Amino acid sequence: MPTALSSVAVPARRRFRLSAETRGIKLMLPVLLLLVLCFLVPVITLLLRSVMEPTPGWQNYAELLGSQTYVRVFFNTFMVAGVVTLITLLVGFPTAWLLAILPQRWSRLMFAVLLLSMWTNLLARTYAWMVLLQQTGLINRVLMALGVIDQPLALVNNLVGVTIGMTYIMLPFLVLPLHATLRAIDPSTLRAAAVCGASRWQSLRLVLLPLALPGIASGALMVFVMSLGYYVTPALLGGTSYMMLAELIAQLVQSLLNWGLAGAAAFVLLVVTLGLYAVQLRYLGAGRSEMGGR
Amino acid sequence: MLLDYDRLGGWRWGLVAIGSAVMLFLLLPIVFIAALSFGDSQWLVFPPPGWTTQWYQQLLTDPVWVNALLTSAKVAVMVTLLSVVLGLLAALGLARSRFFGKSALQAFFLTPMVLPVVVLAVALYAFFLKLGLTGTLTGFVIGHLIIALPFSIITIGNSLQSFDSALEDAAMICGAGPLEVKWRVTLPAIRLGLFAAAIFSFLISWDEVVLSIFMASPTLQTLPVLIWSTLRQDLTPVIASASTLLVAFTVLLMLLASFLKKGSRQ
Amino acid sequence: MTTPFLQIRGLRKTYDQVVAIDQVSLDIKQGEFMTFLGPSGSGKSTTLYIVAGFQEPTEGQVLLNGKSLLDVAPNKRNIGMVFQRYTLFPHLTVGENVAFPLRVRRRPESEVKAKVAKMLELVHLAEYRDRLPGQLSGGQQQRVAIARALAYDPPLLLMDEPLSALDKKLREEIQFELRRIHQETGVTILYVTHDQEEALRLSDRIAVFSQGRIEQVGTGEELYEHPSSRFVAGFIGNSNFLPVKVEQMGGGRARAIFPNGQAVEGDARAFAAGSEGTLMVRPEKMRIRPHAASARGLAVTVRDMTYLGDSMHFAVQTPWEQELAVRMAVGDGQGLCIGSSAVLEWDAQHGHVFA
Repeated sequence: MPTALSSVAVPARRRFRLSAETRGIKLMLPVLLLLVLCFLVPVITLLLRSVMEPTPGWQNYAELLGSQTYVRVFFNTFMVAGVVTLITLLVGFPTAWLLAILPQRWSRLMFAVLLLSMWTNLLARTYAWMVLLQQTGLINRVLMALGVIDQPLALVNNLVGVTIGMTYIMLPFLVLPLHATLRAIDPSTLRAAAVCGASRWQSLRLVLLPLALPGIASGALMVFVMSLGYYVTPALLGGTSYMMLAELIAQLVQSLLNWGLAGAAAFVLLVVTLGLYAVQLRYLGAGRSEMGGR
Repeated sequence: MLLDYDRLGGWRWGLVAIGSAVMLFLLLPIVFIAALSFGDSQWLVFPPPGWTTQWYQQLLTDPVWVNALLTSAKVAVMVTLLSVVLGLLAALGLARSRFFGKSALQAFFLTPMVLPVVVLAVALYAFFLKLGLTGTLTGFVIGHLIIALPFSIITIGNSLQSFDSALEDAAMICGAGPLEVKWRVTLPAIRLGLFAAAIFSFLISWDEVVLSIFMASPTLQTLPVLIWSTLRQDLTPVIASASTLLVAFTVLLMLLASFLKKGSRQ
Repeated sequence: MTTPFLQIRGLRKTYDQVVAIDQVSLDIKQGEFMTFLGPSGSGKSTTLYIVAGFQEPTEGQVLLNGKSLLDVAPNKRNIGMVFQRYTLFPHLTVGENVAFPLRVRRRPESEVKAKVAKMLELVHLAEYRDRLPGQLSGGQQQRVAIARALAYDPPLLLMDEPLSALDKKLREEIQFELRRIHQETGVTILYVTHDQEEALRLSDRIAVFSQGRIEQVGTGEELYEHPSSRFVAGFIGNSNFLPVKVEQMGGGRARAIFPNGQAVEGDARAFAAGSEGTLMVRPEKMRIRPHAASARGLAVTVRDMTYLGDSMHFAVQTPWEQELAVRMAVGDGQGLCIGSSAVLEWDAQHGHVFA
């Protein structure tokens, strides 16, 4: 009797589990909908306004790149981002190095400080620097008391203040990923270098730095890109006469209601940011960390 | 020997010096505002001539500050809930599906994280102006949710990745139906990821400045917005006390997170 | 005619263009320990997963007690399964893990308690009831997984390479436990492994899989003594394969000649005269004699001798320069040394000719 069953063909339909593909897509639908509606559409609309307002054409871009005021803003933005990146790198590399080799008791403490600083409210930190750096602030008074300077230095409402504040914010973003890169390097490669007769400088230059290079490059790129789009810190520490790109966009919308020009500036910022991230993804692999500029 | 702390020789002291300086640099502002918030100098003289809690009293009795604090808390709680639930759905969807263009979709889900917030803020502001959502709780929640979601998706996705999906097969063959499998096996197994996503989302919403500035109205603002607008006028010590409370709260959440992490290692 | 307990009928599974299994048919008796043995990718796990319900066949049927399993969702099949990795729920204690299938079946709490105690007793882990899986060794975890799979008295237990993550000593220990559990519970077991020794040790019958098909089904002894193909002979036990040309067939035996022209006989299935083939002889079925002792047999040169305690291992070279392995009792190799010429003999029934 079972012989009749021996060649029953089962149609290839799925009965119990929805096909994995469609089930997955259903689960993602809410997020997809939210992001398309409240993220993609608004951003694209903003960018479109740059070529539609006040009249269709490229005049917003011409104005942005033709006016000395705006070119100055671009220059400020890239210069500050560059200087911040450089300082962060110079200070951050030794710090990450120390963090990677320190006995656990001490490295835990360093970690706690780094995380505390990173997660402390951005405004709280910026406020602290505004107070510390002002004419009568602690920094100026200590320097004068030590006899380093006679007159208080102008440390806020200019690019010096912005640079100090931004470096402060960016340091953890470089140190933490770079520390992970350095931790992943096998210490015995450096012992081997020493056995081969390399001096410390040679070991550093020929072994450690090349091995850490991917981490250094991606960390630096990330700091640079984040710095380009930062708004709060430059606005508060830089004052009105030293404007950066993010602040310009906000100003154009809030005070001047010039949506077309704001859209153009946003487009430039977007292209540079996403372009540099694409470079990072393509050549350096993804570095996961907080990236959005505040 | 450059990666052996004990055999670094003289270089060790160089590294320790730089590292200590950096740590001091990182701690200075935080300790400084905490001290200022208890100082009795209106002009922020440091070290302060005397100590007081009047700035905290001022802060906690002023209805404007208290309202802002409540708004912040309301928004953050709603963002946390939505971000974890939607993030879980999206992470599950990404983890359990294979289709053309999946990695592009994943990248799209994460773009709010890499986009400069100011661009998103301005774009959303224009959009919400048309919909009449500026100055509403909904506006705040949507805005914060968009930047919190990538963190939720990444965090929950990571814990799903270390979760062996064979456990779901095992539960199913034990007789559990599809929903029962999720509820009794998958969710408990990734609960630490869910907690972490919740803490991240809360902190992101709680600390968000740029988006909030654009979403706020004179009658509805979060704590960071109020700090921001006050800061632009003067540097009153009330801000120091508000900032200190924010820091204290962050420390609390960080301790909670590390406590959870320790619990998971047992 | 009685219906077999579990019937697998003409299963075929294709992914896109790739055929994973084809024409897999098998009857399994109640209480039998049946092992699917084969290299990775041979289709043994796919077949098991189809029985479990995690995959669906492109064609074919699976019947339990005469009723199709394919229309039943995996969670309703009432089958037990132990996986390759320890799939214990990490957030539940050992006892709660074992109770899980009973809880989802909404059994009364008193029954759950009694059953958990009994199952943990069965796998000798009663005192570990309140531990978390992370605190147990791999072997203990897998024993808990067995207890969980048996807690609801499934008529059928599937095991997908359950011991492959364990080291050799633990593996043997649990193999022993498995035999005992099988005897005590009388559950029907479908067991997948790529380890032939494990298969021989555990199973009532073994189905040897190769390239998506079942090559041969039989007891361990049948497979070892009478392999039906070169693949089965090579996969189970050690073997020597010698090239031959078949001259004549008759009565299940073949007459063939070696490359040096010498004639030989062996068991064989249907063969066309004149075709190329392979003669398989197990190393322990061969004897080496000093040259003078016998004129019959294959002339060889001793290349290597190894003393292995309970036996001697020889490597010998044929006239066509093929190296063969021979195993003999320690006393039987008297008078041989490396380099000496000798004669290799075996009884005709131990030679098997394959295509």
